[in-house]
Amino acid sequence: MNGIQVLLVTGLLLVAIYFFVRLQNSVMDILLLLLMVATGIVFVLFPSITQTIAHKLGVGRGADLIFYLSIIIFWFVILKLYTRLRRVEKILTDIVRKEALDEVRKR
Amino acid sequence: MPGHNHKNIYVVIPAFNEKEVIGCVAKQVAELGYSIIVVDDGSEQDVGEVLKDIPALTLVRHQVNLGQGAALQTGIDLALENDADYIVTFDADGQHMATHIPRMLEPLINDQADIALASRFLIKGSHNAPKKRQWLLQAGRLVNYIFTGLYLSDAHNGFRALNRKAASSIRLTENRMAHATEIIAQVKQNKLRYLEIASHVSYTSYSRKKGQSGLQGVKIFFDLVLQKLFK
Repeated sequence: MNGIQVLLVTGLLLVAIYFFVRLQNSVMDILLLLLMVATGIVFVLFPSITQTIAHKLGVGRGADLIFYLSIIIFWFVILKLYTRLRRVEKILTDIVRKEALDEVRKR
Repeated sequence: MPGHNHKNIYVVIPAFNEKEVIGCVAKQVAELGYSIIVVDDGSEQDVGEVLKDIPALTLVRHQVNLGQGAALQTGIDLALENDADYIVTFDADGQHMATHIPRMLEPLINDQADIALASRFLIKGSHNAPKKRQWLLQAGRLVNYIFTGLYLSDAHNGFRALNRKAASSIRLTENRMAHATEIIAQVKQNKLRYLEIASHVSYTSYSRKKGQSGLQGVKIFFDLVLQKLFK
């Protein structure tokens, strides 16, 4: 293993541990996370795999393929978070409004 | 409007940190005999202090700042609950003319429209908006047209009058400034009869300071795009 591989594998493991410890998520979430981290580690340790896949898809380098995929995943996550934020905001609005109106009704 | 009971007309004023001017604005409205609902949208200031001597005024307070759209909806909810026949929305910063409220209500009372929207651009010279602000409002007009299909002369004017039917069919979910476009979209969706009424907007140094910048225009645009995509 060379330097960057050690760095990346450690990073991935830390993410996994952090996720595991901090968030008591559903089984599905944990399985998905494990799958992603495992794939990540395999790709880091055997970069030639990404190279092969990249070539099959018509991308020059494995690293480029990962980069393109990351951008898509990044957007997906942002939009997912955005919809969740809207939902939370709506709940907050409903609570604050109800509380405000109840306060007036009491008077 | 002789013989009409003004108490069933509610003027909803959303306010966020407007202590400097809200008292004066509310007083002008109160002098005309309307019921007033001030929605304090989580101000850090004690707004109640400057409002306590004003008759027929209800102060509602959001615990946290949610945005003007949310404040308007809370005010409208309360007015409807109090059996309001007509609801006027009015800005707290003193840029609208309280004396124009009857003019806004007239087409509703005569059953010519369900909602009256004030416009500063119907009559030349009925505003003293800075050039930059005018461009921004023109851009807003276009954006509104794209999103709602209604091409109105004034994109973001907080001065409106609604009858009960309009007020109950409009439901604001845009907490922040995009609500102005949302109202127009719902006017179209619910097939409400609308009218634009010329009304003066005065830009004081205070309202200019509190008003919206170009950057906020961009923010509104993104709120609208995202809402369209992820409703």
